[in-house]
Amino acid sequence: MSDQERTLTFHILRYNPQIKGDTPTMKRYEIKEAPGMTIFIALNEIREKHDTSIQFDFICRAGICGSCAMIINGQPDLACRTLTSKFPEGEIKLLPLPGFELIGDLSVNTGKFMRQMSERVESWIHDQNAENVDLCKLEERMDPDTADEIYELERCVECGCCVSACATKRMREGFLSAVGFMRLARYALDPRDKRSDEEFYEIMGDDDGVFGCMTLLGCQDYCPKDLPHQTQIAYLRRRMALVK
Amino acid sequence: MKVIYTDSLVIGGGLAGLRIAIASRQRGYDTIVLSLMPAKRSHSAAAQGGMQASLGASIKGEGDNEEVHFEDTVKGSDWGCDQDVARMFVNTAPKAIRQLTAWGVPWSRVRKGDRQVVINGKKVTITEKGEAHGLITSRDFGGTKKWRTCFTSDGTGHTMLYAMDNKAIELGIPVHERKEAIALIHEDGVCYGAVVRDLVTGELTAYVAKATTIATGGYGRLYAVTTNAVISEGIGTAIALETGVATLGNMEAVQFHPTAIVPVGILTTEGCRGDGGLLLDKEGYRFMPDYEPDKKELASRDVVSRRMTEHMRKGKGVSSRYGDHLWLDITLLGKEHINKNLREVKEICEYFLGIDPVKEYIPVRPTQHYSMGGVRTKATGESPNLKGLFSAGEAACWDMHGFNRLGGNSVAETVVAGMIVGEYVADHCASTTLNINTVLIEKFVRREENKIFKLLNREAGENPFELRKEMQDIMMDKVGIFRNGDDLAQAVEELKKLNQRAKNIALKNRISTSNPELVEAIRVPKMIKLAQCVAYGAMLRTESRGAHAREDFPERNDKDWLKRTLTTWNSEDADLPEVTYEELDIMKMEMPPGSRGYGVDNTVHHPDTEKRVAGIEEIKTAHPDADRFEMQELLNPIEIPEKFRGKNERTGRGFK
Amino acid sequence: MERLIVNDGIKKSKIPARLDLAQSGTGLVLGLFMWVHMCLVGSIVLGKGSFNFVAKTMELSFLSSTGHGYPSVVFFAVLGVFSLFIIHAALGVRKFPISWKEHTIIRSQMGMMKHSDTNLWYWQVVTGFIMFFLGSAHLFIMLTHPGQIDPYLSADRVFSSHMWPLYLVLLVCVELHGTIGLYRLCMKWGWFGGKDPVKSRKRLKMLKNRITIFLLSLGLIALLVFFIIGWRHSDRVGEPYNLGHITVIAGTAPDLSVVPGEPEANDHTISNEE
Ligand SMILES: Cc1cc2nc3c(=O)[nH]c(=O)nc-3n(C[C@H](O)[C@H](O)[C@H](O)COP(=O)(O)OP(=O)(O)OC[C@H]3O[C@@H](n4cnc5c(N)ncnc54)[C@H](O)[C@@H]3O)c2cc1C
Ligand code: HEM
Ligand code: HEM
Ligand code: SF4
Ligand code: F3S
Ligand code: FES
Repeated sequence: MSDQERTLTFHILRYNPQIKGDTPTMKRYEIKEAPGMTIFIALNEIREKHDTSIQFDFICRAGICGSCAMIINGQPDLACRTLTSKFPEGEIKLLPLPGFELIGDLSVNTGKFMRQMSERVESWIHDQNAENVDLCKLEERMDPDTADEIYELERCVECGCCVSACATKRMREGFLSAVGFMRLARYALDPRDKRSDEEFYEIMGDDDGVFGCMTLLGCQDYCPKDLPHQTQIAYLRRRMALVK
Repeated sequence: MKVIYTDSLVIGGGLAGLRIAIASRQRGYDTIVLSLMPAKRSHSAAAQGGMQASLGASIKGEGDNEEVHFEDTVKGSDWGCDQDVARMFVNTAPKAIRQLTAWGVPWSRVRKGDRQVVINGKKVTITEKGEAHGLITSRDFGGTKKWRTCFTSDGTGHTMLYAMDNKAIELGIPVHERKEAIALIHEDGVCYGAVVRDLVTGELTAYVAKATTIATGGYGRLYAVTTNAVISEGIGTAIALETGVATLGNMEAVQFHPTAIVPVGILTTEGCRGDGGLLLDKEGYRFMPDYEPDKKELASRDVVSRRMTEHMRKGKGVSSRYGDHLWLDITLLGKEHINKNLREVKEICEYFLGIDPVKEYIPVRPTQHYSMGGVRTKATGESPNLKGLFSAGEAACWDMHGFNRLGGNSVAETVVAGMIVGEYVADHCASTTLNINTVLIEKFVRREENKIFKLLNREAGENPFELRKEMQDIMMDKVGIFRNGDDLAQAVEELKKLNQRAKNIALKNRISTSNPELVEAIRVPKMIKLAQCVAYGAMLRTESRGAHAREDFPERNDKDWLKRTLTTWNSEDADLPEVTYEELDIMKMEMPPGSRGYGVDNTVHHPDTEKRVAGIEEIKTAHPDADRFEMQELLNPIEIPEKFRGKNERTGRGFK
Repeated sequence: MERLIVNDGIKKSKIPARLDLAQSGTGLVLGLFMWVHMCLVGSIVLGKGSFNFVAKTMELSFLSSTGHGYPSVVFFAVLGVFSLFIIHAALGVRKFPISWKEHTIIRSQMGMMKHSDTNLWYWQVVTGFIMFFLGSAHLFIMLTHPGQIDPYLSADRVFSSHMWPLYLVLLVCVELHGTIGLYRLCMKWGWFGGKDPVKSRKRLKMLKNRITIFLLSLGLIALLVFFIIGWRHSDRVGEPYNLGHITVIAGTAPDLSVVPGEPEANDHTISNEE
């Protein structure tokens, strides 16, 4: 960490749709950089010292909850874990994630999107017997490697970076998008989920589903949790293409 | 005025809230969950380390059962917990984890054969049994006799919360996001729901329900540096306090976690030490064995945190521009282990510190972490004072943690309490009819509207951000790990003044819709009240117990203080909470007070302790053939909802 | 097993799956075909004789006693490729950002992120669009003049019939589109992923770049050679390299030492010997 103080210039999109007649504008804020400063710290300082009306979402501020994704100098990323020292120019431009309903300034409604996604892919274990499991008895065994593989896909934090990074999704409203594919791949992998390939096909077997993915791989490149989009979407595509 | 009616209103979409919602939905009641954010972003997601449940599948967990878990929990609480509740908890935890398994949590599993682990700084090979292959495995955590903490790599809370929320989605439970409960609606000792503010439109809505459950998490943000999420502000607890009727329990019991990174306070999981990580001082010396030769780094959290602070006070801390800290060394665990089982920790180190924990030490120091205190409830989860108000999870003082909770017992509590309290919530919905006068609803909504109106129209006054910062600094400096009478008295005085000033907040941005400054202005006065409960309770409690450590009263004093602090806030104009106490009855304890086994035992014992010990001996001799289940029934008979009563199976020993 | 998903009971069509396979299949065949095509056309770099040899071989001249070959073979080959081309294009058009709105979105997305694979896709769309016209023109000519693949006739087309600008653009388009397409195919279906798919992707991308550069260079040189030959031959437009029926006599294989662009009197004599 350098002890040298610089002045950071933030360019932030300001727009509050709740106020009639408000129009989107870029506003400029200057603050002194502190060692180890993240965009989370910087934005709070801006709110407390310069402009109390500015909206953004942070919850865990530790890169775990996925609420703070925004476009930072053109790239979707988690703001809370982005150190300001990453930008040698000291210029930081912040935009809300595109492709989601804007709540105001840097805050977008990922929650609504993700809930719809979950409902669409039926993001739960499909097993008629799940509710009748005898909780006193030993749990069903699972291969340790399978468990690890599922966890790999469960690491998604629903931040929405992959959605915003996908030009396909942005062009085609109905496209399921990468986060949905990751969720489907997660259940397709899980031996507890008894859905057949035919049933998965009903969810994703069209151009709004896996066949609409044009393999732009923005999802892979911008996922802050490094989910294996590249291999998993390909895997789903292969599996779905073979469904009779 | 907008009113929404439902059977079961759950405030909070974390693990506890969702589990309760699932329970009432499954029993057929109309259920709504409120959350400040999408439910999956709740702070439960941050729990990395794991969930305790005595499955005993891993070889190092062999021989584990409810009794051992119970003992650890009670000891950990420094005998401050409610032993009935602790019992309900340990007996149900294995079922909770098994249910979550069926709902999709990909728990890490036992792999048969040899594996290398680090125990006490040395590489050791342990051999997992073939018969346990594929069952849920567990790791070591502080303050436990057995390896009991089940986990999914280091994303335990995340996977649990995702499974839980997905289940809620499957059941079609509506989660109303970006809604904040700002007051409870109640009359004559009955709670009827809450006044809720929409954080986007600013609109106030009355949610009227038969049962209202507060599951809003902890109040870590009363402190300047905490591992908690920025929304862990205790607002749910505060609105219960503001009823003037509901009581809060043990608010002074605040836990500090030994290893949060410096300066930001982000947690590195206890799993780091559980898996073999060490604490080192500025000379690279491993100091914990000097203080706690037995459990070393894996002593209970409160103990380790205090030992670290002591050691730094001796000048052994590493100095930095952010004050002293110590080192957490996990380099000895090796790259492969860190990349797989401690990946979040690695990410945190990389992103926030710019270091690689495979090669470098992590700067850590004790940091506020958990709120044992909260809305006081009976074992059923219902407030003893306000009917129809329930609470669960970190927001509640159901009281299985007493004055110190064990790592891994908290997410376990959220789910177990969710299951048990959830059934009682459903029972309550079944047995009551909603009978409420709309005038009452209107009264509460108008009251809140008025408050907001005043805030928006005040020309000049206090800055809410500054008030909050002052409060956080007071709590940090004077109500921290080690406490003393003078500091606490000062804190109480200063907080009183803040409370006054908080009545005069004025805003710069005076709009009623989405407005973060207004949100802050609504919350800060509530938070200051909670801070007063913590500080005042701590000042009055002249003993040391669990996480509450008084330098001027270092001994645990069972004779005078084996009791639970109850706090109420009687009137809007009050400057201080009202504090009363609830005795813990030793004569009913399954496990009478004893030594926790850390440092010198300087406990001032209660006269009943000996009597109870003798009494238990008598019962034991009178029933020489009783197995552990029958013995528990004799010593500590408890009520658990029918569904969750059966004995738990374990590998290698069946239902024994 | 009973159905676990509750829906309206209308089963999803399998057509999208087939179309996706068809898109990739035709793309794959076309992509690989273009490698071969480039190498064949590139033989001009080695001399008119080589090109001639290749052309005649393609007409299966070795099967005919006269050595004349069967231009109809070429006709059918072109017909096949043309069909694939059209199917592929028709499938590709589905993916185009058709409306202005979509186009604005993709442009702004590219401007914002500067993400290479997204940009590559855009180039595929643009090049595909151009090829739609230029490729069709080229294929149409090949279809209608199957017998006229010959060092001189081809060169005349390039130079005297002013086809070279078309070829230049087409060349750039097809090489970009084809190699990007093949790289994308690997990503799309997860081929050559290996143990570390992220690393493999990097490697494949590098390979893709190298192939593009190689094919483009080869194509440009070939075009230049055609251009020069055509220029020199501009006084004798329409006069084929093979006057009548010419077979290369055993032992007089094309002279590989001929430097492209040099006066080729020598060459001429050989071929006119009979
Ligand atoms: C960094 C960290 C790591 C941890 N690791 C572990 C661990 O390894 N093992 C363990 O057992 N425990 C761990 N804990 C503790 C444990 O995670 C928490 O105690 C537990 O998850 C709390 O769950 P909850 O359901 O009570 O509340 P939360 O998950 O905090 O949920 C609170 C909910 O309430 C909502 N809410 C709050 N206020 C309002 C309001 N006014 N109106 C409406 N909604 C509101 C929020 O939106 C949220 O949905 C950890 C804690 C932290 C901070
Ligand atoms: C009229 C001309 C053409 C058009 C309009 C066209 C269009 C497209 C489009 C839009 C794609 C992207 C498909 C997707 O993202 O899913 C594509 C893919 C591809 N194209 Fe073309 N193309 C044309 C000609 C060619 C030619 C001549 C070749 C041979 C070199 C070729 C090879 C490929 C390959 C290999 C792919 C990848 C296949 C896939 O993604 O499934 N295309 N084409
Ligand atoms: C079976 C089908 C095809 C045949 C027989 C064929 C044949 C030829 C021939 C003989 C030439 C030399 C120039 C000439 O004679 O005019 C040529 C050049 C060229 N063809 Fe094709 N072609 C075919 C398909 C295609 C396709 C599908 C494309 C791309 C869309 C293409 C692109 C080109 C280009 C760019 C050149 C110029 C190359 C250069 O000079 O560098 N061809 N082709
Ligand atoms: S897949 Fe990655 S980028 Fe997409 S929502 Fe999940 S974590 Fe975010
Ligand atoms: S960016 Fe989009 S197009 Fe496919 S590969 Fe990822 S979903
Ligand atoms: S605030 Fe949770 S990921 Fe950034």
